[in-house]
Amino acid sequence: MRKFNITVNGKTYEVEVEEIGGVSAPSRSAAPMANSKTAPVPEAAPAAPKDAPVTSGDSVTAPMPGKVFKVLKGEGSVVKSGDVVMILEAMKMENEITASVDGTVKQITAKEGVSVNPGDVLFVIG
Amino acid sequence: MSTRAKLEYLREKSQEIELGGGCKAVEKQHERGKYTARERLRMLFDEDTFSELDKFVKHRCVNFGMEKMEAPGEGVVTGYGTIDGRLVYAFAQDFTVVGGSLGEMHAKKICKLLDLALKMGAPCIGLNDSGGARIQEAVDALSGYGEIFYRNTISSGVIPQISVIMGPCAGGAVYSPALTDFIFMVKNTSQMFITGPQVIKAVTGEEVSAEKLGGAMTHNSVSGVAHFVADNEEECIAQIRSLLSYIPNNNLEESPVYENGDDTERQDETLNDLVPDNPNAPYDIKEVIEKFADNGEIFEVQPYYAQNIITAFIRLNGRSIAVIANQPKFMAGCIDINASDKSARFIRFCDAFNIPLLNVVDVPGSLPGTNQEFGGIIRHGAKMLYAYSEATVPKVTLVVRKAYGGAYLAMCSRDLGADQVIAWPTAEIAVMGASGAANIIFRKEIESAENKEAKRGEVIKQYEERFATPYVAAERGFVDMVIEPAVTRPVLINAFEMLATKRETRPVKKHGNIPL
Repeated sequence: MRKFNITVNGKTYEVEVEEIGGVSAPSRSAAPMANSKTAPVPEAAPAAPKDAPVTSGDSVTAPMPGKVFKVLKGEGSVVKSGDVVMILEAMKMENEITASVDGTVKQITAKEGVSVNPGDVLFVIG
Repeated sequence: MSTRAKLEYLREKSQEIELGGGCKAVEKQHERGKYTARERLRMLFDEDTFSELDKFVKHRCVNFGMEKMEAPGEGVVTGYGTIDGRLVYAFAQDFTVVGGSLGEMHAKKICKLLDLALKMGAPCIGLNDSGGARIQEAVDALSGYGEIFYRNTISSGVIPQISVIMGPCAGGAVYSPALTDFIFMVKNTSQMFITGPQVIKAVTGEEVSAEKLGGAMTHNSVSGVAHFVADNEEECIAQIRSLLSYIPNNNLEESPVYENGDDTERQDETLNDLVPDNPNAPYDIKEVIEKFADNGEIFEVQPYYAQNIITAFIRLNGRSIAVIANQPKFMAGCIDINASDKSARFIRFCDAFNIPLLNVVDVPGSLPGTNQEFGGIIRHGAKMLYAYSEATVPKVTLVVRKAYGGAYLAMCSRDLGADQVIAWPTAEIAVMGASGAANIIFRKEIESAENKEAKRGEVIKQYEERFATPYVAAERGFVDMVIEPAVTRPVLINAFEMLATKRETRPVKKHGNIPL
């Protein structure tokens, strides 16, 4: 069992990774595919806490401190770049937060009523 | 040698130099999606108007075998010509010749051009495509950069200086563009950085690609170093020509006037419905600007950086006007460090070159947060106050909606010397938002009330009705007129016409000390 600190979008998670195969020193002749499967790679997504943002895809972050006022597109919605996904209340203004790319809303990480800081992931589009 | 032979020699020599680094190097340049120095200049200037200077200049270096090295044209083409009929100077570094590297004589050619541009009062455009200092020339190359920086600084505010990055621009080379007024970049082929990816990797271990570190979009959206981005060189050159159409040749001239046939009395009823009923709802301020500008044309400067404030050139009755506008659609249109920085520099350019300022205000305030305070929003925000106060060009402020607190002052209120302050009936000019103000003023009433929330709502409403309007400011004369939005265009044209002869002097001084 080995312990790693993994930082995903600014949040640090402590992750334990167990080596299953007995490969302690990858031999040079080993196929690179097999090698990368057994080696403990930091992108060990399954080990991360459940509500950690999905790392693949395009994450949209809060541009300024505020509160999520309304979520207009749920997880699984198909969106086009520029579509309004949620409204962030900040500076007493209802700011439209739009999709950065065409795709599907994979995850909404900031639910309605939640306070966010600049750089916090609001949602992920894949 | 006979006269004939002498002529033949001149012809051959010229041709040889014009070929730059030779056919192979030119081919390589084209493969990278780049044009050669001479091709770029041909595109930039009006047809057949470019005159080349210093074609026969040679380097004087005898170190490391350089005495045997031929560098046709010294790796830079310099000269002058016309753009839309106006005199412009330009140099283009030739990457096909010794990688466009900068040595003593290469720098001397550029300096001669800058001296001419300053004396004649004409813009100077630098097309950068260079591997950096010519190391073999050691301190002579270094001195070359220094001489260019010095001239860039002395010419600043006298002639417009434009830098175009069309290839690598690294190390000391980046500071000449940084000292000029505008930087243009081309996607995928231009990069700027002080220390490149290899140095960063060696020192900090960080791995980053050249494009991510210093590419066109990085400098246009993240660092704010560059002002314009183009997909290719043709588009880039078209952008340069557009920019020049809005600015004068020097600080003593006015921008050219382009008659465009748009009716000066044109009213637009749709402006009356553009501001949403909900004071917290965003809208696109660009739509407002488009509706009153000549033919709806906006030429935006730094469109991808600090998008909460728009800096742009438009024309009103054919005359060039600089617009600084809060964008409610992006970060509520608040003022933060980057927005202050972006707008202050733009305001100072326009003041230096006699371009009147139009300030379109819908600002909820300054952005709160520790990163803003730690980052020095106080000294950065002060730049806007300084730039506006210092400016002596005609200043017209149009309050569209919110104008709260210090941010309202920062958008050029009457107090900073606005010559005309015009408000729409939707304007809310007040020291702070209604809920905050009511909580302070009516604290006792709210606390002693039986139903605190009901009382709070009531006093907020009272405050809004009394103060979230343009009329309190108009009663004091801070606002000159409250107008129906539909007539904005004729009113603005009239205001700038009235202000055309404005003369305002400042105390004689060496220079002010803007908070940097």
